[in-house]
Amino acid sequence: MIAYDRGAPLVLGTVAAIVRERRSRRLTTWSHERETALYLPRKLVTPALWEDQGDLRLIDTGSEDAGGPLASAHPVALAERAYSVVRQRRDALETELAERWCGVDPGPLFVDGSISGSPRVGTATCVAGVVKSHRVLYVEGEAMNVVLGLRRGERSTMLRITPKWATVATWYLRIREAAGHDPLWGLVRVEVAEARGTSEHADEISRWILAEARPLSLPDARWDTMVYGIRDCEETLRAV
Amino acid sequence: MSLGRVVATERRPNTPHEFHFWTALDSPVGIGTIVRVDGNEPVEGHIPHIYGVVVEGFSYTDLQTPLHDVLGHDGDPSSPGLSLTERAEIRLYTAAVLRQIPEEPLQPVPMGQVFLATDDDVAVALRMDGYLRPGNNTGIPIGIYRAGGTDSPIYLDADFLVGPEAAHLNIAGVSGLATKTSAVEWILASLFTHFPAQKGSIAAVLFNVKGPDLCFLDQPGAITDRDREIYEKLGVDPAPFDRVRYFAPYTAKGHGLNTLRSNEELVHNLQPLTWGLREVLQFAEVLLNRDDVDAKADALIDFIKERVIDREFSDPVLSRPHRVQSFGELEQWFRDVLNGMESRGSGDTWKTHHVATIRKVRNRLSNISTRCAGLVTDDGIVSDLPFGSFEDRTVYVVDVASSEEDAQDLIFARIVSKLREHLERRDLGVKHLVVFVDELNKYAASDGQDTYVRRMLLDIAERGRYLGLVLFSAQQFRSQVHRRVVGNSGTSLFGRMDADELATPGYAVLSPSTRTKLATLEKGQLMVRHPHFTQPIFVRFPRPAIMNGRDGAERFPQAGELTLAEAVLRSLRRLDPTLTLAWVEDVVSLYDEDEVLRARSATMLAKPGDVRAHFRSQFRSRIPHQKPVARPAPLSLRPVPTDDPYGF
Repeated sequence: MIAYDRGAPLVLGTVAAIVRERRSRRLTTWSHERETALYLPRKLVTPALWEDQGDLRLIDTGSEDAGGPLASAHPVALAERAYSVVRQRRDALETELAERWCGVDPGPLFVDGSISGSPRVGTATCVAGVVKSHRVLYVEGEAMNVVLGLRRGERSTMLRITPKWATVATWYLRIREAAGHDPLWGLVRVEVAEARGTSEHADEISRWILAEARPLSLPDARWDTMVYGIRDCEETLRAV
Repeated sequence: MSLGRVVATERRPNTPHEFHFWTALDSPVGIGTIVRVDGNEPVEGHIPHIYGVVVEGFSYTDLQTPLHDVLGHDGDPSSPGLSLTERAEIRLYTAAVLRQIPEEPLQPVPMGQVFLATDDDVAVALRMDGYLRPGNNTGIPIGIYRAGGTDSPIYLDADFLVGPEAAHLNIAGVSGLATKTSAVEWILASLFTHFPAQKGSIAAVLFNVKGPDLCFLDQPGAITDRDREIYEKLGVDPAPFDRVRYFAPYTAKGHGLNTLRSNEELVHNLQPLTWGLREVLQFAEVLLNRDDVDAKADALIDFIKERVIDREFSDPVLSRPHRVQSFGELEQWFRDVLNGMESRGSGDTWKTHHVATIRKVRNRLSNISTRCAGLVTDDGIVSDLPFGSFEDRTVYVVDVASSEEDAQDLIFARIVSKLREHLERRDLGVKHLVVFVDELNKYAASDGQDTYVRRMLLDIAERGRYLGLVLFSAQQFRSQVHRRVVGNSGTSLFGRMDADELATPGYAVLSPSTRTKLATLEKGQLMVRHPHFTQPIFVRFPRPAIMNGRDGAERFPQAGELTLAEAVLRSLRRLDPTLTLAWVEDVVSLYDEDEVLRARSATMLAKPGDVRAHFRSQFRSRIPHQKPVARPAPLSLRPVPTDDPYGF
């Protein structure tokens, strides 16, 4: 948040995405994208501000792409919308990079988060998305007990879900022992293209993810579910 | 291609004398590597170039605490190999600035790319470009600087090694790692090869104070192909010294010379070192205990030096006139004085000297020839270094390794004094002279009593460069050497150092990593400090193309104890190879040992054309003992009549 114009927050957001490639057990940057923009509701700010944009890219947080018309002009609500749009841009940038990888490199790609936001990435056989947070659990009843009761190295059976644009095969995997922690500790959800939704492939991907769990991602607070490569990407983006 | 980037943070900023940079994990940078930084922004129209030498290195990962690594591998140290990914890791180096171009304004090192120094960069970084100019090249190769495939020659400036700008060289390093002696041999070879013609002639006097290390300088030693490459690169012939002369005193018995280089194959350039009364009395102070010899004794010694030695001396108390030229004659003079005082009842004093003082001085002076037996002769025959006719590019080795400590001190004091005198008068024969002394912490210790030898070393260190007298010295512990001696050494070399020594304050200016490197240096590596180098530099020098002491002692074993005739034959054969043992035995059989040795010394000094005749002439004529021939008893003229009572 850098300023207010007529009560509307102006949010300067920088988003970045990166693909790090492992060569000889060391990670190096395959590609990197970065974008800085001013996020603001066009209809609520002074017109001259929008027109005199200079070199800085302006993104309208009240546009259709950004989530439709603003329900409220409350500054807090406007700020929340701006933050949401920033996250959307980050996801879009990540998806762009992932799509580029799929078009160029046949090697496996570990994606931080869901892959269902892009039909191309969501159907790519080389991609596995690993979701660390579980605002939504795709199981209930006895199945939920099974998922929450998973021990380290155990996975659930596969599900098919279509949370966004693509239908993907998904399963839960416990990568760290949860004893003494909450039930979601060390639990990740893995997404792969529906076409790769076989038990053998799920086992192979699970083994890979378990192997990626070391070295630890400490001191990141999400270290229980974050593999070291993802932390490395985040640290690299902070540095560049 | 750049190998690193300069970095600076608020907590670790760059300064005009130090900067930091990181490199790839597989870069060839290490402690001692010379690098060049090209700045990004021009200063007053010039892109700054900064040259530095790496003095510290750091490596770390993004691991916050070692415990995280333990947890990450379940406490099993063998499991990291299973990790698919290595942690992000950094190689961060600190470099000390050697030179900035332009030199003004002197600014903190800017951000920029870091490159491995090329040959030209090394020359600029170490300011060697100032004395390697064609037509005025005063560079003396000391070794090569090696890093990342670069072999850059490193040169010392002769004006700062031999004078007049600065002078002297000191080498420190633990014993037994072929550092000190090898380095001196190599540097002398390099100096003799590259000493600028316009600076005149140069020679070296080496004191061999221990073992056989310097005993085979004229014998070839084995070197590797890699050494040969270094020799070639530095323009030095990989060969032993072609002009070496050895000097050693006799053994106490006086038959042979007291040196490990006594093998018959090597005696052609070995000469005795013997002094008489005149030579020794000048330096009596070296041998006399100052607590023992007081002002009264000093006065008597001065009297003897000025009024008695080498002149006709007569006095009523004496039974006859004396001309004292040797310790033997001095003893006779003392005896005559004391007898005269007793028999003529002249009281307790003679010429203001008390009889007790006379007896004490007699005792101390007479003692010298016993304490320095082999070096000091009773008969006054002198065999010395060729003062006045020293030759260019010649090494004179004085082997005192087997001599007693008193004799060592006397030899050192007298030779250095004589060298100094001749250099002052410009009549030594050469314009510059290098004197090498090992075990400097013994001869110029930082603590202990003030000795004559230490005062002499201090004098050379402080004033020698104006005379062309240059001290090359070596010791194991530099911290134990008088600081004015090492402080006046313009150039200092360090081989592998003892950890305790490195912990002394003198090494505090070095970074911990540099000290660690010093403690682990390989054979043939040295750290060099030279006036032109703003930071110490690590160099590699080739093995000297000289037979080392151990090999030499095996190949040329020391001659065994010789009989008197064998010793004489060995000496005289250098003058006349036709001599035989039988001939020598025949000549010397009638005479006692002292006479024979005196005759040998006289003949060796005279170097006569007819050695046989000259040697024979040294002996008093003596009729050989012969068994009387049995002769028949003479017959009576006439028989005595038995009946004649008056008959005879």
